[in-house]
Amino acid sequence: MSASLSIQDVDKIYHPRGRSAVHAVKSLSMDVERGEIVALLGSSGCGKTSTLRMIAGFEDVSAGTIALANRRIERLAPAARNVAMAFEGYSLYPPLTVRENIAFALKRGRLSAGDVARRVQEMAALVEIESILDRYPNSISGGQQQRASLARALVRDADLYVLDEPMGQLEPQLRAVLRGRLKRLLKDRVMTSIFVTHDQTEANALADRIAVMEGGVLQQFANQHDLKEKPANLYVATFIGEPPMNVFDAAVVHNDDRTTFQLDNVPSFGFGDNELGPEVRQAIGHRRKVVIGIRPHRVALGSGCGETARVISNQWLGDQSHVAMAVAGKLLVAVSHVRVRAAIGEAVPYGVRAQDLHIFDSDTTVALAHGVRAA
Amino acid sequence: MAQIEIKDLHKSFKDDAVLKGLSLNIEKGEIVTLFGPSGTGKTVLLRLLAGIYAPDAGTIGLRGRDAAGSPPDKRGIGMAFQNFALFPHMTARDNIASALTARKTETGEIARKVEAVAQLLKISHVLEHSPRELSNGQKQRTALARALVADPDILLLDDPLRNVDAKLRYEMRLELPVLLKRARSTVLYVTQDFKEAMALGDRIAVLLDGEIAQCDTPERIYAEPVSIGVARLFGDPTLNLVEVEPRLVDGAPEILVGGATIRLPASYAAAAGGRYTLGLRPESLRLVDAPASGTIAVDLVAVTPLNEKSVLLCTMDGGDELLASEAGDRDVPRRTGPGRVALDLDAVLLFDRASGRRFAPADNNGVGL
Repeated sequence: MSASLSIQDVDKIYHPRGRSAVHAVKSLSMDVERGEIVALLGSSGCGKTSTLRMIAGFEDVSAGTIALANRRIERLAPAARNVAMAFEGYSLYPPLTVRENIAFALKRGRLSAGDVARRVQEMAALVEIESILDRYPNSISGGQQQRASLARALVRDADLYVLDEPMGQLEPQLRAVLRGRLKRLLKDRVMTSIFVTHDQTEANALADRIAVMEGGVLQQFANQHDLKEKPANLYVATFIGEPPMNVFDAAVVHNDDRTTFQLDNVPSFGFGDNELGPEVRQAIGHRRKVVIGIRPHRVALGSGCGETARVISNQWLGDQSHVAMAVAGKLLVAVSHVRVRAAIGEAVPYGVRAQDLHIFDSDTTVALAHGVRAA
Repeated sequence: MAQIEIKDLHKSFKDDAVLKGLSLNIEKGEIVTLFGPSGTGKTVLLRLLAGIYAPDAGTIGLRGRDAAGSPPDKRGIGMAFQNFALFPHMTARDNIASALTARKTETGEIARKVEAVAQLLKISHVLEHSPRELSNGQKQRTALARALVADPDILLLDDPLRNVDAKLRYEMRLELPVLLKRARSTVLYVTQDFKEAMALGDRIAVLLDGEIAQCDTPERIYAEPVSIGVARLFGDPTLNLVEVEPRLVDGAPEILVGGATIRLPASYAAAAGGRYTLGLRPESLRLVDAPASGTIAVDLVAVTPLNEKSVLLCTMDGGDELLASEAGDRDVPRRTGPGRVALDLDAVLLFDRASGRRFAPADNNGVGL
């Protein structure tokens, strides 16, 4: 039976007394509920892997506490934490076959030989390695080793499942199906899990909540919907979402009952108070400059939209059109799930609705408003 | 006369036959993306074109002339690679200029051309930096600038966006075709990313088993792949494959999928009695509430969001899996459990199980291109 995980004020400082001290994780606090799937997401060096290694016990915490199933674990050896792990560095035992490697993880339990065989078989089928169960780790590919290592972690009964880039090396065809199967397994068996990835696609597909890290700091810990609709700051806003959010510096002009965002000379987006609402106007306050953001999927194209822009490129990817337009010296990208017929160089009407606008402070990059609501 | 004319090209390394009779024509000013899995010989083909390797058999025509025997530096071809290959001891400016100094271009002219290409690629502000002071994106642009600065009428690009981060790769995917069109070069662009292949190419040349399996517009390759091998390389997630044996019932072709009887358009009548693999693109499957004829009973096992889409993993009777994808956000998240899947019959693909080739329906009305 899995358990909840609580991380409180955890710091990780490498070489604390050296001149090259690195503050990899800064005052991290987050709670993972029982049965929840959480992704630690960020670019390289953001602190996600250090965090995972502290949870697994491969790194000491410099400060703070980690509790699993209501017991403090941050000083325990990895083996004493009741955590199942699939790590790149935590390799399979070379003298054992893949089958023996997976079964070995069950040895400490009191399962009959038949039960062990059944569970190994089940996990092997899930990650599609049945045909290589009797091979040795050094005779299989990197992707197969990764799947074997995943099966070895998942086969156990543990309080927590800690997975490091669980599908990093798999071919795309298999990845889509495996994500679905893995999510189903974790949910059905209420397996609390935390995994690291640099790939937001992976995080989005699998996780209930995503912890976005940058510079050792937890930027936002929320579900996919909130990360997309209510990003806490410009970093999260432009990091989450493919293609990334369109962002522009804008001057703010308030008239009687109208707020206008003036981009680099042209164009400008004006909204009446009845559209944007008093809450947003208050959030902007006396700022004369802000950053505005619009998700590519929310840029409206076609007649009836307020502005026009020249098409720079129009690319069809089989199930989406990606249209880039020249706006205020930059590119504004619009994505549509229906085929857009617009030639390069053509002037295309486009528009932005008040409810799709994100507004950020120019200096602190903190979000001020999302759509008609203050952040 | 095509600008690049490759005919029946063969190349082996020891016993490993990499190219087995490859033919491909590229018109002047055209951008063709060369796409295929790793290890299929994309880079080998580029090197043959550049004159770094000599073919075992077959011919390469450049601008209407047989290139045989012509050394690399006489072919007038610009190249850029995925590892950038910049001179580490030179500034970005000198790296770019190196493509011109080798040709004894006049100094003022060199400076002018370097400035112009740097402006185009937005690296004017880092021209005095050495490669190690440049970000990967800037290195990549510098390498590209070096390839473009000499105005080559033929440009070979070997996966130049491979080593840049996702955000910049996306931006470059939008901007690169504009730059290349402006330069009016004839371009062969190698990539392993199907989205890049579709986004950048006027046509895509799919390299499989040492030959060009299909060379066509992105639209046609996606909607009318010649074979199951080509079809599987496109789409995220890729298409579902189900083995079927069409039969005629009251004169209409029908197939059995996951226990459900699906009536195919009449144009598939000739497939009756054969053994086929049905290819279903995830976006051509829809989850429907009401049980209607021609829908498949499934168990929705998991919902995994994917870039403004949701990928739905379903299992059919008998346990076979189907991936469906839905565009956009739903107000109410899908709940797992029993449901039904409907097929978009216009998007159905049928492949001969023995040869892997696509069955061409009698009339093409359904494909709509």
